[in-house]
Amino acid sequence: MVVDIVPQFVPAFFQSMYVPVLYGGLIVAFIGLMGIAIEKRDIQILILTDLAGLAMLIIVAAVGTDLAEALVLPGLVVELAETLAISEILIAREMRKAEDARSFAPMPLNMDMEIMTTAPNFISLVLIGYGIFLSGFTGGAVAGGGIVLFALSRKIRGLPVVVIDGVGAISGISWCLWIIGFLLFFMMPQYWLLSLFLAAFGLLLKVASKMGLIGILMREEYGRR
Amino acid sequence: MVIESLGGDLFGTIPLGDIVLYLNPLHLFLFVTILLFTVLIAVSRTETQIEALFGSLEENEVKVGKKEFKQRRFLAIICGIATAGAMITGDLFNFTLFMALIGIVNIGIVSAVKQVSVLDSAYQYGLIAMMCGLPLFGGAAIILAATGTLSLFELQTLPLNAMVVFGALMMLVGVAGESGIAPFYASKAEMFRTPGSPFILIIHLSSLFIIVRFVEILLILIPVI
Repeated sequence: MVVDIVPQFVPAFFQSMYVPVLYGGLIVAFIGLMGIAIEKRDIQILILTDLAGLAMLIIVAAVGTDLAEALVLPGLVVELAETLAISEILIAREMRKAEDARSFAPMPLNMDMEIMTTAPNFISLVLIGYGIFLSGFTGGAVAGGGIVLFALSRKIRGLPVVVIDGVGAISGISWCLWIIGFLLFFMMPQYWLLSLFLAAFGLLLKVASKMGLIGILMREEYGRR
Repeated sequence: MVIESLGGDLFGTIPLGDIVLYLNPLHLFLFVTILLFTVLIAVSRTETQIEALFGSLEENEVKVGKKEFKQRRFLAIICGIATAGAMITGDLFNFTLFMALIGIVNIGIVSAVKQVSVLDSAYQYGLIAMMCGLPLFGGAAIILAATGTLSLFELQTLPLNAMVVFGALMMLVGVAGESGIAPFYASKAEMFRTPGSPFILIIHLSSLFIIVRFVEILLILIPVI
């Protein structure tokens, strides 16, 4: 801690309190986030999220200058406004919710084509391999097309299709790689090759798994009618 | 890294007591671009989505009502102005507040949607935005506690400080969560799947501009890289 920026008239006891309060705030935040991770009901999660906001107020208030006070006020207002907005969203969603199970990629069209039964595995393998070779956005689209072709052909041949519900999460995590590559490109230009490949393969995974979302999209589309 | 080498020649500073604003070509360019987009959004009408229906030649028009349209336009303009403010500001304090404003306005833009899936992802995004208020404000408070100032113009002259690096990284997490990039993208992507395009797009545009600006702030705060 930089001591020389603190004015002389501040008692040493107050100065020594900053670090314990900072740790206290972080521990409160950790407890709140653990609670959010464990809890499954939406309304409880919303209430527990307020605990993270409380920890934010503790950390900001620990500084104790007028500038910190100026940060506390908007922080408090933003937390309250967000709680209100999210609870409104929650109410609106619960009023419109209608749950029913649907099959994978329901198709009103007859997709009985020869390509679906002759060599779909080989074609999708070639598409995925070529997509990985291309990398980047184009490669993601090609590889995703291969995955969709594979899934469709299995469905049409009557084989079981494994539906992974977390495909969207892969997309989000690989987007992370893209962002890290982007940051590294600016921060450490000497590692440009690493950041280029991070970005390329992050985008590949992201777009390829986005193609997997098409099945979910179709289910929604079909269920709406 | 010095400010001059990051954003081009310094046009001048606007000293307002504690807050010292400064102008350079990068900031002015980002500022003017986002304002132009905001003007475009302010004068445009919302799109009408035409959805083709499977298995027939009919189509489905998805329109946005007048009231919802006005509310969204207002929030989109506020979001554009807040992003423009975050582009031009030379102060970490203002940047934090603009960031919090963008987060809450983004929730507001999608909160009026009537689709359950979109409301669901808006709820998830809102929770993340609320939780990320903690690292955003907490990081700013830690930087304030370690240096005694939040003006970027003064922060660039200070030597490297471990607490400042920690605060800057915390702020990175906060900015990522509030603007919905990186690991939180998966839930935000669902929010675009709704009619009313030009207003929805400002969410994406603002997060792109914010991340470019925050890379510059990171380079100012952490002088070794």
